Amino acid sequence: MQRRSAIKNIALTIGGAIVLPSWANAWNRESVQHSRLISPSQDALLAEIVETIIPKTNTPGAKELNIHQFTTKMVTDCYDKNAQGIFTKGFDLIDKNAKNAFSKSFMDCDAKQRLEVLDKMSKSENSDEKNFVGLVKNLTIQGYLNSEYVMTNLRIFEFAPAHFYGCVPVKK
Amino acid sequence: MSNFNIDSKKNQTYDAIVIGSGISGGWAAKELTGKGLRTLVLERGREVKHVTDYPTTMKQPWEFEHRGQLPKEIIDANPIVSKCYAFYEGSEHFFVKDAEHPYVQEKPFDWIRGYQTGGKSLMWARQTQRWSEFDFEGPARDGFAVDWPIRYADLAPWYSYVEKFAGIAGNKDGLPNLPDGEFLPPHEMTCVDKHFSKEVAKHYNDRHIIIGRAAHLTKPNKIHYDQGRGTCQNRTICERGCPFGGYFSSNSSTLPWAAKTGKMTLRPHSVVHSIIYDEQKKKATGVRVIDANTKQMTEYYARIIFVNAAAINSNLILLNSTSNRFPNGLGNDSGVLGKYIAFHNYRATIHAEYEGFLDSTTDGKNPNAAYVPRFRNVYKQETDFLRGYAAGFYSNRYQYEDRNGLGEDLKKNLLNPKYSGAWSVNSHMMGETIPKESNYVKLDKTLVDPWGVPQLRINVDYDDNDVKMTKDFFEQFKEMFTKAGFTNIQTHDTNRTPGLDIHEMGGARMGKDPKTSILNKWNALHQCKNVFVTDGASMTSTSTQNPSLTYMALTARAADYAVKEMRKGNL
Repeated sequence: MQRRSAIKNIALTIGGAIVLPSWANAWNRESVQHSRLISPSQDALLAEIVETIIPKTNTPGAKELNIHQFTTKMVTDCYDKNAQGIFTKGFDLIDKNAKNAFSKSFMDCDAKQRLEVLDKMSKSENSDEKNFVGLVKNLTIQGYLNSEYVMTNLRIFEFAPAHFYGCVPVKK
Repeated sequence: MSNFNIDSKKNQTYDAIVIGSGISGGWAAKELTGKGLRTLVLERGREVKHVTDYPTTMKQPWEFEHRGQLPKEIIDANPIVSKCYAFYEGSEHFFVKDAEHPYVQEKPFDWIRGYQTGGKSLMWARQTQRWSEFDFEGPARDGFAVDWPIRYADLAPWYSYVEKFAGIAGNKDGLPNLPDGEFLPPHEMTCVDKHFSKEVAKHYNDRHIIIGRAAHLTKPNKIHYDQGRGTCQNRTICERGCPFGGYFSSNSSTLPWAAKTGKMTLRPHSVVHSIIYDEQKKKATGVRVIDANTKQMTEYYARIIFVNAAAINSNLILLNSTSNRFPNGLGNDSGVLGKYIAFHNYRATIHAEYEGFLDSTTDGKNPNAAYVPRFRNVYKQETDFLRGYAAGFYSNRYQYEDRNGLGEDLKKNLLNPKYSGAWSVNSHMMGETIPKESNYVKLDKTLVDPWGVPQLRINVDYDDNDVKMTKDFFEQFKEMFTKAGFTNIQTHDTNRTPGLDIHEMGGARMGKDPKTSILNKWNALHQCKNVFVTDGASMTSTSTQNPSLTYMALTARAADYAVKEMRKGNL
């Protein structure tokens, strides 16, 4: 709450001249960087992983919506040591798989190659690989579907509908 | 110096003291101040003002750091309160954390508490059904507990009185086992609710599926606008506190009403240690209060005292109010105090699907649900267990996203949710439990809480009657679901711990005989007639209704009696 009101106060002081990114309402780079779970380079890698899971099309992808930061925050605050271990080990596994398949790091792969790496890992017999992709994918979906952009632009969301109709036709 | 003492005693003297500001304490405050009494309301927790102290009430889902989920650190530190369905990132500040007020579990008991202005009336489930004659007659007919000293006719006008003020949405169903009230327009049932209702009526002449009765302003009257409340906006995030006053809480309704009289003093951070008994005057003269912050003890005095600390804490205060005259707790010559605690059995849930009405769905959000009034053993004993159960009933047509795949395919699927191939239908039981001497709370002899008050030892459990009743719920609902054409029926015994129903009742039960009960028919202690207990502690039996509406009615009735007796010079 404090951080949020601080941001709002800044906006007020300078006459609302800055446009706040939507996600500043809830979490931002500053709050995530306190996480000691992953390094800045792993954070950059995670941004590309979530973007591969939900890419930019004619609407923003997961990276632009900062879902990688949400993912790290959730794993840091809400998950147990076991899940945190799967998460932190996963970054090396990603690069190992990229190197095996394409002889380059995940960051150097193109979008299609990245998708192949994640797809292969999601079906891997190595449970660390499979669980890493599963964990990050679930959190990416959660963060994406509950982001302000998606909720207010791409899905139907009524904070205060002021009605409940018990029986209406399904809209085709 | 002596003058100072006289002044300070005068400053600490009121006409009435109300212990607790939750759903029943709020009503006591409103009624007593409304009748002109200078009233001190003692709240052990912090002050929570309507609207301004609801920090999460306008937060959008994406504004929660963890999207509503609580950090693991909080869940690990609070294994008890974390079990509560209403405890999450948007509401955790209204719940007592496990370590804050310790107690001893002789048997597992999840004691869910809210220490702030308004108590649990901020986070309650808002279901409000009247008791019927069949419920009050229960113990006498079936030979358990003791006979209630009142009947439906005693309470009916007071139900009307509190319903009009609180605002209860409901349908006049004309059922003898669930009397109609003073209703605002009802909420809507879904097509599957209505289908279930029709099918059940076809096969059983004594079973009814109705829309729940809930403390929501579907269409406010003048009295509600006068309270500063408005129409419910169907946000269904009530437990965060409602800026519209769309549902009833002490904070939005009774307390501001009491404050407007200018007669109320609300003192937060005031933990009541005990009630002061004067052996010469043979009545209570005040209460001892520990300031939660400074731990200093202060005495406050009044002619009448209302104990509304929530069922278990009201027991604690009475048990801790010892004197030469009452060495075992105030008004406890009988030794009954703290015993015969009962609750509601919420163990059983049943889930199924319905493949009809696939061209239909719902729209908006529903703060209410359908309700199945008790049908077992209403008119006569017909099963191998005593009493019966009511049930909640929910049906919804949910939407889901195909979460397979990665990349653009996944994104496309996520943005094109599909309707489920069937409606989801769910029911949960709310069973009456039988009060027993062996279900009790008592004071620990050595352990004290952070305020120096003895800790409670809680010993409350299910019995054989509850097990049989749970089995019957499964059988009857399976049968009703099958007859309604529901498929994939799955039953689930959650075995959940008593307490989590948050319907704990009894310990200072009402009754006719001082030898077997603590309170008389006016909710006054048999043996200390200027002390009234009008919360869950007073309940002789539990029946199956959500209890809060009955506490409101009992409180308004007792306050009316207390002030009349005061004016006659009897108190």
